[in-house]
This record gives sequence, C-alpha cells and structure tokens, in this order.
Amino acid sequence: MTPPTAASLEAPRRSSLIPPSQHRWADVIHRLEAGGSMLPDTPENLMQIIGIYKAYAVPMDFYWRDLLYIAERVFLNPLPAFKYLISQEYLDLPNSYAGDQSKLRIWRGGEKAHPELLEFMAKGEAGSMPKLLHHLWHDRINMEFAEACMQAMLWHQGMGGRFYDYLETPAYRANADRAIKAYFRGNPVMLGLYKLFPEMFMEQVKQMSYYANLGLFWEVMAPVFFEMSDIYDAGGFQGVPDAMNFLVNGIFAVAGRPIYHHVYVGDECIEIIPKSEGFTWLYEAALPYVEAVFYRTAPFRGTKSYNAQAGQVPADQADFHYGILYADVFPVGSAGIPPTLLMQDMLHFLPPYLQELYKQHRRGEEDQLVQLGIAFQRSMYNVTSAVIQALRTALFYPLDDTDPEHLIANRRFFEAQMDRFLRPEARLGDIQTQDYR
Amino acid sequence: MPPLALLLVLALPLAGALLIQLLPSERPVPIRTASAASSAVQLLLALACWRQPPADVQLSWLPKLGLQLHLGLDGLTLPLLLLTALLTGLACLAVPADLQRPRLFHALILATNLGVVGAFLARNALLFVLAFELVLIPTTLLIAIWGGPRRAAAAVRFLIYSAVSGLALLAAVLAFGWLNQAGFGFEFELLAQASLSPSAQRWILALLLLAFGLKLPVVPLHGWQPLAYGQAPTPVVMLLGGVVSKLGAYGLLRFGVGFLPDVWSEWSAWIAAAGAASAVYGALNAVDQDDIRRLMAYSSLGHMGLLVLALAAATPLSLQGAVAQMLAHGMIVALLFACVGLIERRTGTTRIAELSGLLNPLRGLPFTLGMLLLALMAAAGIPGLAGFPAELLVFEGSWTSFPRATLISLIASGFTAVYAIRLFNRVGFGRLDNRRADWIATTWPERLPALALTLLVVVSGIWPTALTDWSGTETAALALRSQPFLLARGPALSPLASAPAPITISTAPPVAPEVLPA
Repeated sequence: MTPPTAASLEAPRRSSLIPPSQHRWADVIHRLEAGGSMLPDTPENLMQIIGIYKAYAVPMDFYWRDLLYIAERVFLNPLPAFKYLISQEYLDLPNSYAGDQSKLRIWRGGEKAHPELLEFMAKGEAGSMPKLLHHLWHDRINMEFAEACMQAMLWHQGMGGRFYDYLETPAYRANADRAIKAYFRGNPVMLGLYKLFPEMFMEQVKQMSYYANLGLFWEVMAPVFFEMSDIYDAGGFQGVPDAMNFLVNGIFAVAGRPIYHHVYVGDECIEIIPKSEGFTWLYEAALPYVEAVFYRTAPFRGTKSYNAQAGQVPADQADFHYGILYADVFPVGSAGIPPTLLMQDMLHFLPPYLQELYKQHRRGEEDQLVQLGIAFQRSMYNVTSAVIQALRTALFYPLDDTDPEHLIANRRFFEAQMDRFLRPEARLGDIQTQDYR
Repeated sequence: MPPLALLLVLALPLAGALLIQLLPSERPVPIRTASAASSAVQLLLALACWRQPPADVQLSWLPKLGLQLHLGLDGLTLPLLLLTALLTGLACLAVPADLQRPRLFHALILATNLGVVGAFLARNALLFVLAFELVLIPTTLLIAIWGGPRRAAAAVRFLIYSAVSGLALLAAVLAFGWLNQAGFGFEFELLAQASLSPSAQRWILALLLLAFGLKLPVVPLHGWQPLAYGQAPTPVVMLLGGVVSKLGAYGLLRFGVGFLPDVWSEWSAWIAAAGAASAVYGALNAVDQDDIRRLMAYSSLGHMGLLVLALAAATPLSLQGAVAQMLAHGMIVALLFACVGLIERRTGTTRIAELSGLLNPLRGLPFTLGMLLLALMAAAGIPGLAGFPAELLVFEGSWTSFPRATLISLIASGFTAVYAIRLFNRVGFGRLDNRRADWIATTWPERLPALALTLLVVVSGIWPTALTDWSGTETAALALRSQPFLLARGPALSPLASAPAPITISTAPPVAPEVLPA
C-alpha cells in the first residue's frame, strides 16, 4: 500500500448547499463532512496518535500471532496453562502484509515478529530469566487484553456480517465435530465428555473461531500502524486527516482479506471455517470489532463498580458503552481491567517523542500510563473516524457531491453516528481540547 | 536537671518568636525552619527532663495577689508537655511554603505553644489562668487572619466561647482562693488541701465544668468547634485539636478530680452522662457531615466524650486511660488534620461530594489517603494502633463505675468505623475526575508531619506503655482522692489500686523519677 497522495487527502470545504447541522456535535459533524476526523487536526494530536499507534502495534504483533497459535494449535487443550508461551513457529510466522513475500505489502519492514517485541520478550523489565518466571511475574505481553477483546466480539455476537450466523450452521458443526474428534483422538475421557456435553465443546470451538477472527484482523492492523509510524518519522503526514485517510485507504485495500479458522492436529489441517466460505476482513472482523470493542465491550470491575441490580448496566446489549470511546482510563491497577493491561503493554514501546511529551505534562513520568491511555483514546477516535468515513464511502456519497439530497443523506449518516456520543460517558467532548491528558 | 530547665522550656517558644522577628528575610522557609527548630529544642529539653526531672521553679511575681511563677513537672504534665512540643514542631512543618505573612503566623503559633506549656507547667492556679487566657489571643488571630472563607465568623465565635471559658475559670480560681477557709493562696498544694463549704465546692465545680467543658469541648458547649475546625488553617487546627483541647481535659483532671474530689464524686454520674451524650452526638453528627473538616470536628467531639467519661469514673484505670486518650487523641487528630490539609492543598476542597478516587495510584493522593486510612483506623480503635489501648483503658476503667454510660459510649465509638468507612469509600474510591485531577503529587517535605505522626500512632499501638505508663502513680493517687473507698476494695479493680501511692502534689521535690517510664 502506498501512502496517500496530497491530492487524495485534500479535504473539501464544508458544503454551503445544505444548512448547518443542529446536532450537539455539529462542529465534529462539519469536520467529518469536510473530510476530517473526530479528533481535531493539531500537530500534537498527530504526534500523539502516531506515537501510540506504534506503541500499540508492537504488542499487537504478539497478540495476532498468539491468537492464531491458540486458535490453531492450543485449540481445546483442557489445561491451556502455556497458551501465552507461543511457539517459535508462530513467532516467525510471516505477516501477510509485511516483508518481501507479501502480495500486498503494507509495511516496509520484515515479516517476522518485530525486533522490539523480541527484545522485550527476551528480557522484559526484570532482565534475563526463564520464560515461565517472566510469565508468572506478568513481565510479558498481556494476552489477557487480547482475549478480553475476543470475548467482547463473541459475546456481543450479531453485529453485522454472516460470521456468527455461520457458527450455527450444520456445515460449521460438522467441521467442528471433526476437529474435536481429531484433537481428542485416543483420549477416551475427553471424547466421553464430548458425548455427554456436546454443546459445551461446540461453544469452545466457536470461541476458538473468534480467536482466529481477531488474530487475522490484527495481522493486518499491526503493519498498518508500523507503516504509519515510519511515514510520520519520515515527515510524511501533514495532519490528522492524513492519518485518517491512510487508514481509510488501508481498510479498502485489505477489505477482502479472507477470514477463516484452521486447526492443526499433528500434520493434519482441519478447516473449521474454510476460506471458501468467503468471509472477509471488513465485514466479518473489522466492523464487528469496532462495534464490540470500541463501543460496547462489557462493564469492567475496578475503577467503577457497576451494579446490575441498581440498573447501572443497561438491559439491552446495544446500549452498552464500556469501550475505549467511553472509557475512564484511570486505572486502579488492581482489578485487571483489560485497557490497563494494554496500557502497560504500550508503555514498553513508547517512541521517544511521546516519552518527552508526557514528561512535560501533569505528573511527568509518574503518570505517563494515564497520559498514554488518553492518547490511545484519541487515536481510537481517529480509527473510528476512519471506519465512519469508510462506511460513508461504501454506503453513501462522496463528500464533494454537489447534489444536496446526497449531502443530506451523508449528514444523516454522520448525525446518526454522532448520536452514539450523546451519552455523558462519551469522551468525544474531552478529546476536542488538548488539556485532556 | 537544674530548675532552670523548666524556665528554658517555657522561654524557648518566646525566644523562637523573637528570633523569627529578627530574621532578615521574610521568606517562609527559613522562618518555618526557625520556629520548628525552637519546638524541636523544646522537645529535646522535655525529653531530658524526663530522664533527669528538674526541681520546681518558684519565683515570686505578685505576692499580694497570690501569683507566683511556680513551675513543676510530674507524670501528668510531662506527657502533655512532650505532646505539645511535638505537635507544635509538626504544625510548623505543616505550614505551606507559600503562606502570606509567615513571620506573624509562626510567632502566633509559638505564642500558642507558650500559653499551653505555661498552663501545663503551672503550679499556681492564677498562673494557670494567665497561661490559659494567653492561648486565646494567638489562636483567635490565627483563625481570623489565615482561616477559610468564614474565618471571621469562626474567629468571633471561638473568641466568645473562649472568653466565657476564661472568665468562668478565673471566677472559679478566685473563688477557690478567696473562699478557702484554710488560708488565701493559689498554689496547687494549698488548693489540694482547701477547706470549702459544700455549696462553694459545687459552685466552683460548676464554673470549672463550664470553663473546661467549653475548652474540650463537650455537648452542649461545643458550638464553636465545628466552625473553628472547619475554618482554621491546618497547622492551627492540628494544635487546637491536638493540644489546646487537652487543656480542658487536664484542667478537669487537675482541678476537678484533684482539688474537688467530694463534689466530683457527687456529680460524676451527670458528668459521665455528658460524656456519653458527647460520644453519641459527636459520632452521629460525624456520620451526617458532607465536609471532611467538620466530620473530623464531630469525631473529635465524640472522642472527647470518652475522655470525660473516663474522668467522671475516676478509677485508677480510667484516669490512666484518660491520660492515654489525651495523648492518643492528640496524635490521631493531628494526623487526621495533617492529611486533610494535604488533600485540601492539592484538591482545593474538603467537601466530600466533590472528592472521589483519591486512592488512584497515578493521579490521586494514594500516600496521603493511606495515612488518612491509618488515622481513621486508629480513631476507630483498631488494635495495633494508638487509639486501641487508650479506649480499652477508658472503657475497662469506666465500666465498674458507670456501666450504662460506658456501654453507650462503646456503641458510639463503634460509629467511628461507620463514618470512617463512609468517608474513605467516597473520597478514596470511585472515579477520579480527570478535569480536576491536575494537581501534582505531594512531596516528602509536605508529607513529613503526617508521616511522623503515622509512625508514632503505629509505635504507640504496638508499644502501648508509651501511652499508659507516664502517669500511673499520679492517676492512682487522684483516683484515691476522688474515690477513697477504693482503698478498702483492694486489688479487685486494678493492680494499681493494690499499691496506692501517696498524693504527689506536695511541697517536696517532684517524684517524677519513680513514676515515669524508663
């Protein structure tokens, strides 16, 4: 994928063909209509989001590899104690969008695990010691975050696409049955349990399919973020809309990437979800991911105790609002909040310019975990803007369309998207100012 | 130690206040250092007096009026002297570096110290009154000049209540001297052997209860306290709660239990009832407060109720508990307000509704909140902290005399845990508002006063004799004056009663070496 050209990034000015929006987030809507992002276009915002993309991409390079390792190799291991201790084969697994072998090269770097990731895995914060001690000391990449994202996708289920529906089909069940029987071949205890509780095993296989789904999704995103970081380092992005448009272009470039689930039992490969089913990256992974993880996820313990009986948790899953776009990023560090774990992971890979920035504000190094969490929130508003613009491109009209009816249709689409940020918990208002750190 | 040591203890704050005026710079830090240093030297001198007790100082001042500069040290006054010197030093260190007019502020703090130390060391009732009254002026000025938004109202109310307290005390002392059929004079030895008619004793005790009840305070004489504690600057409220209020407790112990034992015994049931009422009223009001400072004020009121209960019971154990409670409460309340001061300095408020999530490890005040939690636990009487041995002695010592009042106070004391948990749950937990949480972390110099008090509260809890062993002999002797039947009862009540000591208030050289902990 090539960096977007200046011509393609030129944001059209807000059309005077339709009256201004009266929405509460009218300013943001007008910015989106002008080809911008929900995040204001400032040099510092650009620096923050690109820096955090890079810091996110390094652990993500581990997440996608381990997610695929679990989905394809660990599979239904009843005691998966070592599922985070990834095999060398998966660490060396070539990324489909990086390296010389890739058909669609997004990142100019190599296809194997990122060097910074390998360096961290070898030493961690505590220095050289056996892998197991790094693991037990939590001096590692926190896969728990990736699993929480996967579980959000599994739990929220029907968010467009055909993926979840397919998991209920006889074809999927037959493939899953074949995989279960192959995996537990020669294990009468597990096969007996499968006989007794088939649905329990089937549910586990569905979860494994979501492991594969998310792993394949992030396999794309990691090189996208690496490339954005490299472009920025080379002085390639001029503003936040540039970064957003790069993501939009990337989304369309890889939209058709197949989503599948293969399981390897010995040398045998069992295709639980074959590529031939035609599930694609954009509709079966990217959009459900944004919906489930950025917007919804689930109430987490810790910073705020949610009480379902007191009505603090919505009865309707569609009203869930616990994603990063609404999140209170203040961690308490004791309750295992998934974003806290991601923030801890990103902390290890911050580029120097972000470290310098954080030192200049609030409590400097002491609270850079919070500052990077808020930068992550900004960056995810930018990713969500890219998704909104991509959907508008796919479903509605160009921004420079001259037909007022088309512009009104675009306006309604943007306003409907912004309605989701009318909740008091939404951080859209916060990210409009640089003081929110 | 030569008798000069006591004069030096008294003169040190005066010298410190003068030294501050002579400092060439108006910068707060050197001034703060100088005033803290004078308190530190006073503390060291007091510790030296503990190891080698000095003889009394007796200088004639206005003999016609019966006023003498008679200073002495015994097991009752030494721990209070140490507490005063310690808390004065820590209060000086708790003064913000950006304080306006620091020269005057520190001079007034040291003047307060002078008054309190003078009252504790006085062996002449008129001298005690003078020192007692001296405290009123600097504390009122400190509230009026450096207090919160309602400082004027707080200062006026404090002034009025304190003035009434001072007048009542003066009247009581004068009546004591004038109506004493054994002879005119205000020396403690004379007053201890005073011969007064029963009605005169009752009137004098009523005046003393009014004077010291206002100072402590107890219900219903507490009107000044929530406002003054709410508006006074942190170092001042540390002194008010930690030291100045102890003047009231000390006065009741010295004058009420010590000089008027018969009428004290006669009225003790009512006094115990007032103590229990204070404990209940303070605890229930603390639960209802929406401001941390006011919550602390009512908490302090409740704990003063326990102190009054112990004094009313006047058993050897309860009086020992009263002294321990004075020390423990002094440290705990100072620690509470030191923590609240840090919170207020950073967040700009003490309103509970405006605070939450302060335990946040990255943007909150977790260290301060940790110390606050410990102080609240100590106030609630959790074993292992200073509050526990003191309250245990109070309850155990009072139970034999006033079981109902003790039981009520015990239940009221349990409410400490309620408001402590409520406060901590609201202020410590919950969501920290990022729009407000733009303050920097507290620094070690800022934390120092609270940290020192935290250590003392823990050490006193682990080593409770540091609270209880200062005044065993004196309190046992006072108990016997108040309840002579204890002599006949023998060791059933307390091991202390099995070895009754002579009354230590005498013209002989002080007996401190035998009664103070080694």
